[in-house]
Amino acid sequence: MSNPMRKILLYVDGSESSITAAQMAIAMAKSYGAMMKVIYVVNENLLNELLKARVFVQVEKMDYERDLEEDGRRYLNYISKLADRKGLKIETVLRKGVVHEEVAREVDEYGADLLVQGELGEVLSLRDSFYEEGERILRKASCCVMVVRGRDKIEKMFEAME
Amino acid sequence: MMLTDHIRPENIRIDLDAENKTEVIEELAEVLGESSPDYDADAIYEAVMARERDGSTGLELGVAIPHAKCDAVSELSVVVGISKDGVDFDSQDGKPSHLFFMLIAPKTESGPHVQAIAKIVKMIKLDNFRSRLLKARDPQEVLDYMKKIEEGEI
Repeated sequence: MSNPMRKILLYVDGSESSITAAQMAIAMAKSYGAMMKVIYVVNENLLNELLKARVFVQVEKMDYERDLEEDGRRYLNYISKLADRKGLKIETVLRKGVVHEEVAREVDEYGADLLVQGELGEVLSLRDSFYEEGERILRKASCCVMVVRGRDKIEKMFEAME
Repeated sequence: MMLTDHIRPENIRIDLDAENKTEVIEELAEVLGESSPDYDADAIYEAVMARERDGSTGLELGVAIPHAKCDAVSELSVVVGISKDGVDFDSQDGKPSHLFFMLIAPKTESGPHVQAIAKIVKMIKLDNFRSRLLKARDPQEVLDYMKKIEEGEI
């Protein structure tokens, strides 16, 4: 039987649950002998919405965009090191735009068999749930999606892993 | 990111004394300086005023979200101020502002800062949110209500 998990894509947003998802994705990639790639997306859409609502001014929006890019590089670098510690080489990619669209595009371009992400964000109302990026990724991705929960258990498993 | 994890009851003032924009920012900066003595209230005030000079953060619906990146704080801090009478904050609709959410974050915490601002923008659009906060009798009531909203209980 052929390996059902040849390519795993991990989506990270910098949250604590992203790190838990990273630990699970690394463990699965090692276990299946799969390739792994990590994506971070600068939420340009959100910045544009705040600009449109006039909460941000243009120069400020650009400033935050640069900051978020730097954050993204830092997260990707951290996860690369995390994987490296477990003897796994991974690829990283940083994109800008509408988060769920960029993740869905990467799923297709990479040919991912599985997309891994952390816990879904809190929503303020039913209507709001339709706009939550984690939820939208779930609906939009063309491959299987795993939502990772259970931080303590996964952390222990990851630490114990060789 | 839970917005209400960054709001402490002592950082909520339900009866602002301020009568104009400068005084609002000064009072909110003082609230933060008093609750966190390590924070430099003057530096926070200057950072927010500098941001306001680029464009007012007074929105519609009687809400303003003054904010700034400032290394006078060590983590994202949110101060809530309520003015029953309302204050001219140079708002988009020209009406007085009653609810103020001041957010200050160190320069290295832009991600949570942006998420917190976005969450407040969503909250203020919810039915009854503004009227409920204006009726709050004490800071804990404000915080409890915001927590319930954030946790999806309302």
